[in-house]
Amino acid sequence: MIEQLMVDQTILDAAREVFETMIFMDIEVSPDSNPTIEGTTLLGSITFRGALDGCLTICLSEAAARSIAANMLGVDNEGEIDEVAIADAIGEVTNMTMGSIKHRIQNVYPDIQVSIPTVIAGKQLYPKPGPDFNRGMVAATLNEKYPITLTLFFKQTNLS
Amino acid sequence: MAKTLMIIDDSATMRKIIMKTVRMSGLEFERTEEAGNGAEAIQKLQASSVDIVLCDINMPEMNGIEFVKQARQLDCIKNTKIIMVSTESAQDLIDNLMSSGANGFITKPFTPERFQEKLAPFMN
Repeated sequence: MIEQLMVDQTILDAAREVFETMIFMDIEVSPDSNPTIEGTTLLGSITFRGALDGCLTICLSEAAARSIAANMLGVDNEGEIDEVAIADAIGEVTNMTMGSIKHRIQNVYPDIQVSIPTVIAGKQLYPKPGPDFNRGMVAATLNEKYPITLTLFFKQTNLS
Repeated sequence: MAKTLMIIDDSATMRKIIMKTVRMSGLEFERTEEAGNGAEAIQKLQASSVDIVLCDINMPEMNGIEFVKQARQLDCIKNTKIIMVSTESAQDLIDNLMSSGANGFITKPFTPERFQEKLAPFMN
C-alpha cells in the first residue's frame, strides 16, 4: 500500500514539474479515480527497459491536448494548431514526464533506457499491459477543466 | 558581435518551444537554424557554422552523443559551443558527454532562467 502510494506520488510529482514549468497549467488529483474522457482521446506512451521494464501512458481529450499544445507553443488561437503539432506536443509531455520519473528513481534504478514516445488518437483508448505488470495511476484535472490520467506499468527484471 | 544558434531536436514542436524559451530568456541571436537530427545538423553546420548549438540526445539517425563526438573532429564546428538539452539526467551520461566535448547540459523540463544561466557565458 505504501509502495503504491509512493509510485502514484512519484507520477504526480513528475507531472506537476512538467505541467507547471513548461505548460503553465495546474494539475490536481481528481476526486473521480476513473474519469470519463469524452470524444476523441489521445494516448501518449513511452516504454522503458532495464532494472524496470514498463510503459508510461498519458490519456486525455483532444481538447485538452490542443490546449496543452497552445500553451507550450505560446499560441493564442488554439485553432491554428494542426493535428501533427498536437500529437508532437503530447509526445514531448510524455517524454518529459517519463524523464522526470526516471530522474526521481535513478538512485534505486540507475540504468533505465527510455524509448521515443508515440501518440495515437481514437475513441475509448485504454492501455492494457501483460498481467505480470504492477500499475501506478494518477487521475487528475488540468486547470480544473480537463481530465487526464497518467498510468505507469512496470515490473522488476533480473537486472534489478 | 551578434551570435548565431542552431537547435537540434527530432521534434519540430520541441524546436519551437526551445526557440520560444530562448526568446523569453532575453537572449538574442542574429540567426537561428534548425535540424532534426545530428546528421542533418553536421551537414548544415559544414555549410554554415554557428556559435552555439542546443542539442537533444535521443534522436533517430544520429543521436546527440554521436553528434558531439563527430562535431569535435570537424574544424568548422570544433569551436562551436554545444549545450545538450534532454530529459536524460544520469550523471554518468552527462560526464561522458562533457568529456566528449559538450559545453553544458540543460534538463527538460526547463525554464527561461535555465537557458539564461547556461548560455549567457557564451554570449560575449
